[in-house]
Amino acid sequence: MGWWSRIGRIGRIVEPAKTGPVLAVEPPTGVRGSLQVRHVDAGSCNGCEVEISGAFGPVYDAERFGARLVASPRHADALLVTGVVTRNMAQPLRNTLAAVPEPRVVIAVGDCARNCGVFAGAYGVVGAVRDVVPVDVEVPGCPPRPGDIIEALRSVTGR
Amino acid sequence: MTTALTAGPAAPAQAPVSATPRWPWLARAASALTVAVGVLGVIAGVAGLVHRFAPVRVGWLIPLIGLRLHLDPLGGLFLALIGAVTVPVGVYLVGYARREHLPPLTLWVIPAFVAAMLLVAAAGSVTTFLLGWELMALASLVLVLTDHRRDVVRAAGVFYAIVTQLGFVAILLALMLLSSSAGADSFAGLAAHAGRVSPAMRATVFVLTVIGFGSKAGLLPLHAWLPRAHPEAPSPVSALMSAAMVNLGVYGLVRVDLQLLGPGPRWWGVVLLIVGGLSAVYGVLQATVATDLKRLLAYSTTENLGLIVLALGAAELLAASGARSVATVAIAAALLHLLAHAAFKTLAFLAAGSVLAGTGLRDLDRMGGLARPMPVTTVLFGVAALGACGLPLGAGFVSEWLLVQALIHAPRHHDATVALAMPLAVGAVALSTGLAVTAMVKAFGVGFLARPRSPEAERAREAEPSMLAGMGLAAAACAVLALTPSLVGGALRRAAAAIPLGPVAASPAHVRLDARIRLPGVAGSIAPGWLAVSLLAATACAIGLSGWGRRHRPPRAAVPLWACGADELSPRMQYTATAFAEPLQRVFDDVLRPDTDIEITHHAESRYLVQKVHFRAEIVDGIERRLYQPIEGAVRAWAGWVRRAHSGNVHLYLGYGAIGLLVVLVLAR
Repeated sequence: MGWWSRIGRIGRIVEPAKTGPVLAVEPPTGVRGSLQVRHVDAGSCNGCEVEISGAFGPVYDAERFGARLVASPRHADALLVTGVVTRNMAQPLRNTLAAVPEPRVVIAVGDCARNCGVFAGAYGVVGAVRDVVPVDVEVPGCPPRPGDIIEALRSVTGR
Repeated sequence: MTTALTAGPAAPAQAPVSATPRWPWLARAASALTVAVGVLGVIAGVAGLVHRFAPVRVGWLIPLIGLRLHLDPLGGLFLALIGAVTVPVGVYLVGYARREHLPPLTLWVIPAFVAAMLLVAAAGSVTTFLLGWELMALASLVLVLTDHRRDVVRAAGVFYAIVTQLGFVAILLALMLLSSSAGADSFAGLAAHAGRVSPAMRATVFVLTVIGFGSKAGLLPLHAWLPRAHPEAPSPVSALMSAAMVNLGVYGLVRVDLQLLGPGPRWWGVVLLIVGGLSAVYGVLQATVATDLKRLLAYSTTENLGLIVLALGAAELLAASGARSVATVAIAAALLHLLAHAAFKTLAFLAAGSVLAGTGLRDLDRMGGLARPMPVTTVLFGVAALGACGLPLGAGFVSEWLLVQALIHAPRHHDATVALAMPLAVGAVALSTGLAVTAMVKAFGVGFLARPRSPEAERAREAEPSMLAGMGLAAAACAVLALTPSLVGGALRRAAAAIPLGPVAASPAHVRLDARIRLPGVAGSIAPGWLAVSLLAATACAIGLSGWGRRHRPPRAAVPLWACGADELSPRMQYTATAFAEPLQRVFDDVLRPDTDIEITHHAESRYLVQKVHFRAEIVDGIERRLYQPIEGAVRAWAGWVRRAHSGNVHLYLGYGAIGLLVVLVLAR
């Protein structure tokens, strides 16, 4: 009974949605509420990954806004890039972007992805994501909170 | 990290066989003779099928016993089959002999081998049959030993010689017992006096012939010579052995057990059903995990011959339980599958020979990407593989469909054996057909598609025109059997009529292989030609519709292949034959018992860093290991024990002679 009563006490756990999305770009598929996302870790400390999994978890539930994580860039409309771009990941990141069908959107998540964060100037770092591939949406924070990631995703899904 | 991958028995590239002076005219003359013998076989076979000949006795050829030939529909079918296999092989031989430098002995023994096979099928008496059989065995042994400078070939030759001679002993005993108890030597006489043979003698003859002819047909557990001898023999010889010679094992079973002694008791049918079913499933399972292309094809032969014998066993069992119209369907399935197997296996071995001649490779794990340099061979091997799959448009489809129809329409309401055996047989056929698809997809996909996995595969050359012509003939035969089996319908009906399926002389309606095949007493019917036409039409429609739909889509963009972010795909990333079969190998672990071994070398500084991984996997034939090796060990031990009597002392040997003479004198007193 313990689990049932706990569920009964807590009730709904999903964070309520903030008011309507602010469109940053046109939805790449031309349809609102449908965005297939491929995540690329270009050299992250995995802090952003933890927050992304929070954003797609049951509490923040990004899927209700139409964003879905997919396993292959061939299936994706958008890339979700985290971390500084390291030397080993620069070319794979370009290859992955080339594998995403056009039109496509690149979302850079976290301070490292925006401006190299604490890793700026390190020997293995090529630069921020925008130094390697064109970026459409950026999410600040180290790491950004799941709510911020949701906001960025909603600005693309338009829902 | 470097990964050294060695999988399967290492198949060394075949070196040029000999340094004998090359006489181009010799190869051409031997090939022409082979083709001529083949054409002769076809003519004799067709004559035997359409016309009733009296037996011919050629007394002067062999003293005392003479040579007795009898052309009848059953022998005629096999004569025509052997001839039809020989003709494409002979054409192919012109180019193959030049490419692979076949020695003159091999070239001249090939037509002799074919002639010996024809003699077996045309034999009209027990002695002639046995003579032909032994000539065939000896000729094939010489051919297997073509490349005798290599140890593997010599070992395969010894193995083949032992199995084939043991089989011959069994056949010799069986036919001598039969001949003496019936009091006749000719087949016609035996058929007339078969009633004199006691049931115990019939049973003895049946068991001995199943062992003897089963060893020739590559049935379990005497199949082990096939995967040893076929890969090591030159490819045209493999084609002849696998598509023509093994069929004579079936011929022997049909001639002696089904025709002369038939119809047999029910347990004969059950024995054939079990042996056939086990051979089919075990053979195809080994084919699925084999990485040597010719070994794979050899195991596929065991599978297909198993299916044929299963069909014969089903026919016997059904006839014995009174379902004779369904039994005729099973007989038709067996005979048609015999033809289909001969057609696609000839083509498959010839194509494997082209690959061997063009690359020097037999190991599928080192092939790949042959479709670009060898387009014609690739298409032709595809035709053979489709035939072996038993799918529509393939040569084996109609016969396997007939077999399944016979098995599922068996009346099972009044007979527990039939009710139990038939569903199990359907299961065996379904499993072996499904696994055959896996094996053939592996052989075709891994061997011919994707990118070359080795420099040899990269440097592949297309086969010579004569080789392509030979394969083209075999492919045409495959197409005929797949699309219009009605062309061989008459021959099959005449041969099937020679097999008695019941005590009553009046035989039931036989299967008519018309454009639309209808089965007697069964509701099912099929039209393979129309099936092919509709499939082609549907494909054309699909291509046309997609072309029409493409007008509304955005223009195509060319992007590099997705390699998970890596810059380019390398041949090392491709699926290998070993990897393809690995899941199945896991599932059938208990049957296959693979011998795998992984060695990991770590860096000296840290246990966490791997310097080198050595992986070795070998699949040894389980039956060979668990059945043959103990017997071999026992024979060795016994021979060692007997050798104690051989001290090298001349006086002792003289003493042995004296004792032996005394024993003989006392016994013959």
